Amino acid sequence: MTDPAIAYDDVQGTILRGYRVDLARHFILRITDALGAAALIAKLVDGADGLPPVTTAQRMRPKPACFLNLSFSASGLAALGLSSPQLATFDAAFQRGATNPSTATTVGDVGASAPDTWIGGLADGTQVHVVLSIWVDDDRAVLESVSTRLRAAFAGCMTELSAHDAQALPDNKIHFGYRDSIAQPTVIGAPPRKHAIPDDQPAVATGEFLLGYPNESGGTYSVQPAELSTNASYAAFRILEQDVAGFEDFLRVYAAQAGISSEMLAAKVCGRWRNGNPLELMPDSAGSVLPVDQLNNFTYVNTADPAQSDTLGLKCPIGSHIRRNNPRNAAVVGTDSTHHRIVRRAMPYGPPYDPARPDTPPRGLVGFFINASISNQFEFLTSQWNDQSDFVKSATGPGGSSAGNAVYNISGEDVFLGVNDPQDSFFTLPAPGAKGANNTVLKGFTRTITTRGGVYCFFPSISGLRYLAGLAGGAAGG
Amino acid sequence: MASPLTLLMPVIPGTSLTTIAATLQQYQPQLDAALTSIGTVHYARTLLLDASTANLQPGGKTGDSYVIAIITEYDGDFSAYIQDFVSQVGAVFDALLQFVVGGAALIPVANNVQAFDAFITLNDASQHAPNTGLYQAYTATVQQILAALE
Repeated sequence: MTDPAIAYDDVQGTILRGYRVDLARHFILRITDALGAAALIAKLVDGADGLPPVTTAQRMRPKPACFLNLSFSASGLAALGLSSPQLATFDAAFQRGATNPSTATTVGDVGASAPDTWIGGLADGTQVHVVLSIWVDDDRAVLESVSTRLRAAFAGCMTELSAHDAQALPDNKIHFGYRDSIAQPTVIGAPPRKHAIPDDQPAVATGEFLLGYPNESGGTYSVQPAELSTNASYAAFRILEQDVAGFEDFLRVYAAQAGISSEMLAAKVCGRWRNGNPLELMPDSAGSVLPVDQLNNFTYVNTADPAQSDTLGLKCPIGSHIRRNNPRNAAVVGTDSTHHRIVRRAMPYGPPYDPARPDTPPRGLVGFFINASISNQFEFLTSQWNDQSDFVKSATGPGGSSAGNAVYNISGEDVFLGVNDPQDSFFTLPAPGAKGANNTVLKGFTRTITTRGGVYCFFPSISGLRYLAGLAGGAAGG
Repeated sequence: MASPLTLLMPVIPGTSLTTIAATLQQYQPQLDAALTSIGTVHYARTLLLDASTANLQPGGKTGDSYVIAIITEYDGDFSAYIQDFVSQVGAVFDALLQFVVGGAALIPVANNVQAFDAFITLNDASQHAPNTGLYQAYTATVQQILAALE
């Protein structure tokens, strides 16, 4: 089968392209006048009235001063005129929405992460209609001037519930100190990335990220009306607050329990050292940053040289964040990681953490987790691989069953994204031995990432945005 | 802790018993291989029943009351894994659903995953009173058992 040709100028850019900028602002909006909102959507598509145009996946030269993308919640699409039968054809999770109690339970947004605690008007999902995002290079004046123009355009048709800023940290680090944005799926048919770090996995079917194309299951995701289907996508918008002081405390206390260094424990719970090096290649020390073509080398099962396999997670723990969220070629129940990949477009927010002067202002990550099925990708990752430990298949490594079995070498939830109630939080550091006899299991820690907001979003294609503009305009006019 | 699946699918009246049986036989190896690959199914069996006979056994003639039954005990959340399930056994269900009342609208299931999930919920007797019970002699998962047997 030949790769599908994607009309890049019909796809919202953030789905297929990383913008490589330092600043972002996400406006959370409620539609108050559908006709006015429709007119604004039309203006944004065309970049009329001095507004930045909706950015497409078509590369632009020179690089624009501002990138803009536009997404809608289910209630937002309803506000623009989509009917209930039409919305019933959308992804089931998207229909539920991020604040639905079933969603919250599914993804672990409970306790301090529960939707009723969310900030910026996000607690009531029925009132959240639009997420309008802008990204600019490191020029804050551009961010503010574009924001001023946009806010003037919102007036009378949309209410700004809140705006959430993000700012990249040096060397693409996140507040926990890890170098981020290293692994992204290679999407078949997507434009080549300018500074891509090679993925070590098979390219993923276009239909895992865009509606209207074959997906990894041999089918095609679609919605009604057809005008909104092809070249559209979904995303989970998330605001994830990071308790850096709490995380450093976790490392200090539990590294002492395990008899390893804090940096080693930081690497073990993540799967990478904080400088980005994968544990599979650097199991004993962080070392110097490896060449980019090695940064995604996580060959858990080495078929060419089975003696080098890390089936048991002795180098990179099976319960580490990176291995849970992308088991690569390690055996899991169901299918495999290629069927559940996501594109990550998140950036830090809040001031950098200074360990010499620990403080706790809000800081974390804000952005989108993009996929063609929120149910099968974002929610699956969260509910199954992050929050469970029984998805690993029975498998032995080079030492046979006397060295252990993968099933015994994972416990609890993801240290970063799990609920991690201290009553039943576990993290396993595997060691050779039958049935996990020599493993070290850390217990009783609390979550250090709290959900502060979320929206399940639909990114229409460019032609889909024009359809929505016409739909609301036509309904209001008729 | 496993969950039961008792999927009862009424057959379109007038469908040949021989054709259904041949299809089940044809796809059985593919189904078995897929269930091994999925790795969460303890036991599975397909049955062909006839609601018009006293003992529900099919008589061998074309009838109006056949039911295809798929009965399993499986680990985990069926809906969470529905897409994986479709990836692995979608072709088998496409072959069977052609004989089933309401099945044509679901083919290919890979394009109609949400509707297929809803169909299973509707037709899984184990999700409806009074048939929700399941006796279990153990709580281990398939993979825990396989690991223990290593």
